Amino acid sequence: MKRRVPMKIFPLVTVVLAFLLVLDPPGAKAEPPIKVGIIDTYTGPATTFTYDVRDAFKLAVDESNGKGGILRRKVEFTTRDDKFKVDICLSMAKELVMNEKVDILMGTINSAASLAVSEYCKTEKIPFLVTFSKSDKITGEKGHRYVFSITENTVMIGKAAAVGLTKKPFLKYWIAGDDYEYGHALADGVWGNLKKLKPKVERIGQSWWKVGEPELTPYLTAISAAKPDAVIFATGGASMVNVMKAAKATGFAEKIPMFVHTATEHSTLAPLGTEAPEKVIGTSNYHFYFPDTPKNKAFAKAFREAYGREPKVGALYGYLAAQFIAKALEKAGQMDRERFIDALEKMKVDSPVGEVEMRGYDHQAMLPMFMGVTKKVPEYPFLIGSDIFTIPAKEAMPSVEEIKKARGQ
Amino acid sequence: MGFSVPYGAAELAGQLLVGLSRSMILFIVCAGLSFVLGVLRVPNIAHGSLYMIGAFATFSLSKFFAGSSAFWIALILAPLLVVFLSLIAERALFCHLYQREHLMLLLFTFALSLILGDLVKIVWGAEYRSVAAPAMLKGSISLLGSSFPRYNLFLIFAGLLVAVALWLFVNKTKFGKISRAAAVDRDMVGMLGINVSWVFAAAFVMGCYLAGLGGALVAPTVSITLGMDHTLIIEAFLIVTIGGLGNMWGALVGSLIFGVTHSLGVLVLPQFAIIFPYAAVVIVLLLRPKGLLKSVW
Repeated sequence: MKRRVPMKIFPLVTVVLAFLLVLDPPGAKAEPPIKVGIIDTYTGPATTFTYDVRDAFKLAVDESNGKGGILRRKVEFTTRDDKFKVDICLSMAKELVMNEKVDILMGTINSAASLAVSEYCKTEKIPFLVTFSKSDKITGEKGHRYVFSITENTVMIGKAAAVGLTKKPFLKYWIAGDDYEYGHALADGVWGNLKKLKPKVERIGQSWWKVGEPELTPYLTAISAAKPDAVIFATGGASMVNVMKAAKATGFAEKIPMFVHTATEHSTLAPLGTEAPEKVIGTSNYHFYFPDTPKNKAFAKAFREAYGREPKVGALYGYLAAQFIAKALEKAGQMDRERFIDALEKMKVDSPVGEVEMRGYDHQAMLPMFMGVTKKVPEYPFLIGSDIFTIPAKEAMPSVEEIKKARGQ
Repeated sequence: MGFSVPYGAAELAGQLLVGLSRSMILFIVCAGLSFVLGVLRVPNIAHGSLYMIGAFATFSLSKFFAGSSAFWIALILAPLLVVFLSLIAERALFCHLYQREHLMLLLFTFALSLILGDLVKIVWGAEYRSVAAPAMLKGSISLLGSSFPRYNLFLIFAGLLVAVALWLFVNKTKFGKISRAAAVDRDMVGMLGINVSWVFAAAFVMGCYLAGLGGALVAPTVSITLGMDHTLIIEAFLIVTIGGLGNMWGALVGSLIFGVTHSLGVLVLPQFAIIFPYAAVVIVLLLRPKGLLKSVW
């Protein structure tokens, strides 16, 4: 019979090892890394957007670490899954700050969660870079010194779309969308601005469906019965694909011009393959094939080589976050949160979509918007946006006066 | 504010047909759920997950076979994959749990639905997936002056076919009769010398087949995504409840009410369309708390 190792030995070994680790932590001699914590949704359908943010961020971080890091310190990042839940997101953010001792926080795709983390960061004085939430409250009404947004918001989407749509001849509009905050905010944003820019437009009706509604055909057939000049769809996530599929199957897109924010974006078009409808008007912050500049080509190529897929809009946000963090830290000269924020205000970075400025007043990144029309092309097994024109950030941003008003100043 | 739009008989008829096609998907899935409820007394929340797996499997299979008949092959094979999975689940897990109380079963199947959901994520990832309709069913046809997607027309036929097949199966085959008997009095069926354990396994697998078939049929009309299971299962339980628990024809009636009130609601009052089917459910339950048709519970 074999002699069994007494059970007592395991705790002893553990304690000894732990002691050794405390006395001589690995890498103690090197400069400690700069730590970034990312809380985002890594379960469920939202991952189609969030993985790109994370992966592009990693790409930029690896690039920078390969060159010796920032301020001769490596950048490390830790991710936490918030499961699209506000309470989990907030506790994960706190955990990252308290246990992981992160210097900067980033995330998330859930607007309510971003606002909750933003409040926490305000009291704890931790810089927080919002990467995908579209609520205009983040840098508007609820904005403060410690929160930054490097993504578009519903006001910017609405304004940009309105600017683009004024160039089209439509007068009678129908509005349809997902019956939740994002859907309504988007619709109000587009419609309010369009009405202002072109008072002759008329809204002849609206339809709203519940989030995740699988079958949109009845909505489209009902809308075509009303014969509007064009339809503004205010949808996001899985509904995007459903709208496009129903538009294709019913032949809706052929008969009635439709505008859908992100219709031309690769996240929407990739899953549909060649089954996406043509002639759909869409807007997006990013295309891997537009703008056709060396900078964008290089970024798309690096992303494709690293992950075997084309970068989607999330990749731009992730990459921008890394660019802003790196440049602001270099300017601040050390990892000091207050100096970092001062440096980040009014910072300009040379991004894949051109120069992007972090507006000083509200900490909103000034992203250009691209409006195009879906089109089949022989080069790709999916549709792309064509006839793209740029709506500069200046035309799409809410004015500083509007932000002041929203904040009650 | 256009509350209602002027619409004629053509639009109304078109809208009715669209509603019917959605009803048919719901019916196929709910018939399976109801069958399992009736024979096994298991409120299977994981039924929605099997529907989702059916849709994802259709995506992979139609990619794998690529070609004009790919979708049809997937339509046959994807539900069979679901059958295979459900047989494993039944023999390994469910068959030990039939005697447990309903709350336990509800929790168990809920847990299973979460596990299956994660499994789908591991196998297929989190991206949205899309399946193209077969070439002959692409596009739309003009029907009474309004255009109607061909595929939805096919769905209506498929639903009717399944309804007839189910009727024949339940009423004309020996197994159908045994399973109906087991639904009413399982102890008695056991005493007659029938291997109830296998009857249950077969009934469970059949119910799950319908979930898989529903998933495969719905695949070309929607985005195949995580979470489609939960959207469906809530509607499915409502339908089964208003139809009469365990009654397959109740599932048909319930699906028709749900699908048609929804599509007509969309036409008449588009802003408030969401509440129509649920309002119908409330009315039915107020008038007939046990469901429209005879519940086997």
